[in-house]
Amino acid sequence: MTSRALARQPDPGAQQEHVQEIDPIALQIQWSRLVSIMEEVDIALVRTSFSTIVGESRDFAVILLDAQARSIAQSEMSSPAFTCSLPGMTRTLLKEFPPETLAPGDVLITNDPWLCHGHLPDICLVVPIFGRSGPVAYIAMAAHVSDIGGRMDEFDSRDLYEEGLQIPPAKLYEGGKRNALLYRIIETNIRFSTEVIGDIEAMVGAARIGSARYADLIADYGEPALALLASTILTRSEEAMRRAIGRIPAGRYGCDITVDGYNSPNRIVTGIEARGDSLHVDFSGTDPQRTDGAVNCVMNVTHAEVLLALKSSLTTEIPNNEGLFAPITSFAPEGCILNATRPAPVKSRTMTSIGITQTIFGALAQVLPESVQAGSASFFSVKCRGSYADGERFGVYMLPAGGRGASLGTDGAAATPFPSNGMITPVEIFENRSPVLFLERSMKTDSGGAGEFRGGLAQTIRLTVLGDETALVTLRPDKVKYPAKGLLGGADGAPGRVTLDGQPVPIKPLVLARGQELRLDLPGGAGFGDPRKRDRSLVKQDLDLGLISPEVARNDYGYEE
Amino acid sequence: MSSRFRLGFDIGGTFTDFVMIDAVSGQAHLNKRLTTPDDPSRAVIEGLGELLGRIGASGADIEIPVHATTLITNALIERRGAKTALLTTQGFRDILELGHEARYDVFDLHLPRSQPLVPRQLRFEVTERLDKNGDVLISLDEEAVRRIGWEMRQAGIEAVGVAFLHAYRNGAHEERAAAILREMLPDATVCISSAVAPEIREYERTSTTVANAYVQPITKTYLNQISGRLAAIACARQLFLMLSSGGLASVHTAIDYPIRLLESGPSAGMLAALHYSRLIGIESMVTFDMGGTTAKVGLIKDRQPEKSNTFEFGRVARFRKGSGLPVKVPMIELIEIGAGGGSIARVDDLGLLKVGPHSASSIPGPACYGRGGEQPTVTDANLVLGYLSPDYFLGGAMRLDPEASRRALQEKLGRALGLSAEDCARGIFQVVNESMLSAMKVHIAERGEDPRKFYLFAFGGAGPAHAYELARALHMKGVIVPPGAGTSSAMGLVTAPVSCDLAKSFVTRLNAVELDDIRSVFDGMAKEGLAMLVSAGVARDDPQVATIHSMDLRYKGQGHEVTVKVPGGAMSRASLDAIAEEFHGVHQQKYSHAHRHLPIELVTCRTSVAAPAPDLPASREAAHCGPVGQAIKQHREVFFGEAGGYLSTPVYDRYRLGAGASFAGPAIVEERECTLVIGPSGHVRIDATGTIFIDLAVAETERRSVGAAEAIAS
Repeated sequence: MTSRALARQPDPGAQQEHVQEIDPIALQIQWSRLVSIMEEVDIALVRTSFSTIVGESRDFAVILLDAQARSIAQSEMSSPAFTCSLPGMTRTLLKEFPPETLAPGDVLITNDPWLCHGHLPDICLVVPIFGRSGPVAYIAMAAHVSDIGGRMDEFDSRDLYEEGLQIPPAKLYEGGKRNALLYRIIETNIRFSTEVIGDIEAMVGAARIGSARYADLIADYGEPALALLASTILTRSEEAMRRAIGRIPAGRYGCDITVDGYNSPNRIVTGIEARGDSLHVDFSGTDPQRTDGAVNCVMNVTHAEVLLALKSSLTTEIPNNEGLFAPITSFAPEGCILNATRPAPVKSRTMTSIGITQTIFGALAQVLPESVQAGSASFFSVKCRGSYADGERFGVYMLPAGGRGASLGTDGAAATPFPSNGMITPVEIFENRSPVLFLERSMKTDSGGAGEFRGGLAQTIRLTVLGDETALVTLRPDKVKYPAKGLLGGADGAPGRVTLDGQPVPIKPLVLARGQELRLDLPGGAGFGDPRKRDRSLVKQDLDLGLISPEVARNDYGYEE
Repeated sequence: MSSRFRLGFDIGGTFTDFVMIDAVSGQAHLNKRLTTPDDPSRAVIEGLGELLGRIGASGADIEIPVHATTLITNALIERRGAKTALLTTQGFRDILELGHEARYDVFDLHLPRSQPLVPRQLRFEVTERLDKNGDVLISLDEEAVRRIGWEMRQAGIEAVGVAFLHAYRNGAHEERAAAILREMLPDATVCISSAVAPEIREYERTSTTVANAYVQPITKTYLNQISGRLAAIACARQLFLMLSSGGLASVHTAIDYPIRLLESGPSAGMLAALHYSRLIGIESMVTFDMGGTTAKVGLIKDRQPEKSNTFEFGRVARFRKGSGLPVKVPMIELIEIGAGGGSIARVDDLGLLKVGPHSASSIPGPACYGRGGEQPTVTDANLVLGYLSPDYFLGGAMRLDPEASRRALQEKLGRALGLSAEDCARGIFQVVNESMLSAMKVHIAERGEDPRKFYLFAFGGAGPAHAYELARALHMKGVIVPPGAGTSSAMGLVTAPVSCDLAKSFVTRLNAVELDDIRSVFDGMAKEGLAMLVSAGVARDDPQVATIHSMDLRYKGQGHEVTVKVPGGAMSRASLDAIAEEFHGVHQQKYSHAHRHLPIELVTCRTSVAAPAPDLPASREAAHCGPVGQAIKQHREVFFGEAGGYLSTPVYDRYRLGAGASFAGPAIVEERECTLVIGPSGHVRIDATGTIFIDLAVAETERRSVGAAEAIAS
């Protein structure tokens, strides 16, 4: 194969590592092969997963790391925040289990929020891939499983111990042998253990497929060429990120934002320092961590959200890898809500972390208006659990999205998540797995923030229960008090709302029975730019389609027929 | 003797291709005409007249005319369908626009989205509701349907799709609503989701129904017109249409379900491959069809093409999964890669060489066409590498300019990459091959298969030039190139069986299935399928009609299903056990784990009813006479990666090589419509059917040990 010939061409300088270089064609080919391995891992996980969170909501990531545990490739659709926190997690696990002590067939596991992704349902695995003399690469993955034990509510835990099972760094498999005790501990401590164990097994199976593919790659190129590939990917990507940061005039850019929180709102204060070819994000001044609600965010998650926002803004096209992260640092004072200390309750940390991308886009809007996005609405989390008359239990889960924020030149999409990503569970699947009956799922007029580019519309979902069963519904609404923020003259999106038979309900698990109607109005995405500058034909079209009302057309857009 | 020809014609974007095959001798006659977009039937009649004249036959000699068309695909992409309305369950008209909600790119802040085929103001809702078992919770408000019908008439609606929740379990409400709408809108077509795609998942089912409705009126007009034109030249036989599943259907069925004609052209290519697999006695192979803008890869196992049940059309980001609109139709499974002869190469922000998915198309075309194209393409690279002859492109009808290629390579790539034009050409060839290889590997692996077991069956204008390198990189047995590989898709039309694929969702635990219920679902589909075959002229009691049932199964709680064949004979408890066993096995093979202790859930039942493929005799290639050296036209310098440089390579004239000829690579074999590239480790032989085999002698030691990979992984 020619590519191999090129990569292995006897090069007079090849002995001295510091002058070794990979030609651009071999680099392109080998890089795309790495990504393609991870695509295969991704597909295997989706197809064999049990919970709708992995299979339909895609709340997972699969990444490939080099011998030094630096991330070099991932599947394209991997949940972005996970891909930013997984490399650090892998390195920490490898401190606990040094590479030289690992054996083929080992699988490492943990769900420690401070090592991984900030709450217990996110289970992380690391699988070493062996070369001639030890691990030469790793596959790491994180997936949100549908239960991890602990309290049923989303917010009321007072510390981490109430939030479910903690799995410290451990070997799930040792030399290919299942750690039976650990499996039993997991099974014993969680609800729906079949689903959760099924998802963990799906992760292990997918990682095995990835390991076998990487072994093929070693057979094709050899270990030294792959080591060179990894360092080249990292260097090139880092250089690209530094160039992109260079577009930002040196200086400090600030933005503050308030998020709903639980009992009371929380303030996030952000300062971005652009320093030529590097960038520092400082969250000093942000509210302290909470003891009255599980909305605390660990530093791993905070930093991951920073990286996700900046990667989206500055180097959209480059396949994600850790080289992009090298020029970026972030700081949040210990004990603040973005750098909470153990054992703070963290279960619903998304309520806080969701504000981070928005505050970074807000800060950069002043200098890079073409590279940011107005506030996106949050998703709601909806869990329905209970038992049928015959005793069989059901547990279903849905993450409906609000509207996406608009950006320069692009209206926000209706009911589209950001920064998370995932598919909604179809109504027909949800109804087949539970006694729940949906009455409506529709786009909500006027919910997208007005702007030269309009925010994405939210959706309204109405549901009830059919038959004599009841469903325990656990909800996590967001942007009910503080809607998605407009940018550069664009209006905020509509706030969200939850009602039971027309009455607002507190955020507590509720029992839904036949004849009752639960209504979820998701929040809308925010607008970008002055609505009065919006193309008149687009305003008319929005009006014709019923996306905006005549009142909004007149009052917000200044539209006269 | 009359009625002895099978006719196939395929109307493509640029050319309309014809093939007439003599059912007695097996001899094929080909013709090609420029497509006439204003009235496509004109090119058909003109081209057909020409062909009939050439072979001294008349329209009455045509036994079965078979047609494939890109009309449906193009109407959907170019949004040239009917003014369409949608009727849904109260509260759910926006299902069509809300879709899955997921973003198809996680980082892009300016992501475009496909617009729905029916705008919001033409989506209507009516009070009615079924539960998950298909039982009526709220009966259909017929008065409201009438009111909506009247509104649709006022709005000038030409086509209506009806899609209610859980209609895959019970189509009664949809049928009643459709009957009322047909009364109210006598000139419009009306279709219902329980007939078009009775499968669970409301977005996909609604999207499929709407797409079907959208193309129904134009399909009806068009097919009636073509049928009329054929009748006018004394071809009294019923016209058949090629389906995306590889089967044939009558005009009547095609008008009811035009969405099943989507991508029928590429499916025809797969059927051609199937035809040759029968002729040459190789039952399993990987197919590779590479043209000007895309490459398509498929898998034939035991003389069956792999099938899938979903497709996405009109992707706004080319080739990006999730950026188009989904349809649930039985399809021959082909993966499409944005890589063809016209694919443009460029240097990206990181200084890397990228090829495609943008194509130079036919206008302006690759730089070497000399028609104003300035961007270097795959064809330019292939010319510089010596794979193509400047003087024998399309049999010499068009001269290629290698200097223009070199200039484009140097200016657009070489300068930025610090490489020579030749190095850039090598790079393009490798990069485009690699993107095809990645897709092929994933596709083959996803089916639990190993590429080393197969030959690569190559066709299309560019396929035979790239196949050797791909087969080598995948350690395959070799490459097979059929006669006339540049235009072999049309052959699939005349070799296809009449068949019908049906599906119905039926969600239940496999071990709790009521045998009577499941029998009635399968028997119902078998009856419906047979009725379609009979309407297409198949004898009701033809003993050769094959009915195959399968089930989409998953472990209870899983989100995705695996399709498993149902064993023949009457459905019994024992056959359910056998199905469960088969499912565990397939799951284990595909995903390297199974969960034998978990209950299995049935989601969708599928039935395929097929008449046998026509038994056409193979046309025999004349035996090769004299030394093969006589077929050499010239020698030219050709680049081979495995040799690390250019080799003086003999160029063979395909038309001077007969059956039994055999020689070693490196070699080039030129035909009018394509060029075969054979590297130094390939060995060429031509069999009695005129098919060219390129065998790859791979030493056992070079074959990778699968065992080693598994040791690492387990």
